[in-house]
Amino acid sequence: MPLWTLRGLRRGVVTTRYPARPEPSARLLPTPPAFQPDVLTRDLADRLVAVCPSDALARDGDALVFDVGACTACGRCQAEAPEAAASSGEFELAATARAHLIKRIPLGGRPA
Amino acid sequence: MTSQDTTGLTAAEASAELRRTVARLFGRSLHIRTLDTGSCAACEQEIRLLAAPHYDLNRLGFFFTPAPRHADLLMVTGPMVRAFENAARKTYEAMPDPKIVVATGACALGGVYQPDPFTHGGIGGTLPVDVWIPGCPPSPLALLQGLLVAVGRLADKVKDLDFSLNGTPR
Repeated sequence: MPLWTLRGLRRGVVTTRYPARPEPSARLLPTPPAFQPDVLTRDLADRLVAVCPSDALARDGDALVFDVGACTACGRCQAEAPEAAASSGEFELAATARAHLIKRIPLGGRPA
Repeated sequence: MTSQDTTGLTAAEASAELRRTVARLFGRSLHIRTLDTGSCAACEQEIRLLAAPHYDLNRLGFFFTPAPRHADLLMVTGPMVRAFENAARKTYEAMPDPKIVVATGACALGGVYQPDPFTHGGIGGTLPVDVWIPGCPPSPLALLQGLLVAVGRLADKVKDLDFSLNGTPR
């Protein structure tokens, strides 16, 4: 018998309480990144676009266009620029329109 | 929105009415048919976990069914390979009205594959999608939230997120 079954029996619950209660294990999930507009410059944005393997990032003038729907939460942008990207921690991402998943992040950083 | 239809409802009123109808019809019992249009099966692994004891989707009134004719919701994974397009359309047409289509995973949303001679690179052009669930693969929790959004029991939360860390201490 798997250990989690015994642990669940001891604590009296094996089934998650989600959505009535938050699920504690949700913080362990890989989640799409959130970006720090203050440090994003055009150069940095272009570097992030270049490392993104699933075309989730694009640069449109002075904005970074982030398609959350295309993001695979691989973490390459966070490895490339830890000061500019970090896990958002958001897993409740279901959208009723595709356009809701496309985010524009302004580039607020000064060019070096 | 000011456009009037034959019943005298505005588009916004009609959309609110449709949401109420879906919640009334499907809110407590909904049958799901999954459709793999060329996915790597990671999404299927996560969908399978929904039926496992920890997530137990039956407690929320969701059930899997093998037959599209018994299904209210079509959960589509994969980038819609062109060889499967006809079968996907037939599956959709076989479902009784009203029906909901949920695009599941980054491939289905058009993230991983570009359109090419083998795949459409997303299901949006083939089926009328109602709810989009991002993730590669979406975790069972994300899928549960997507299903609850589809039946109107949870709100579309991502619409208000801006994915910027402004004001967040680092």
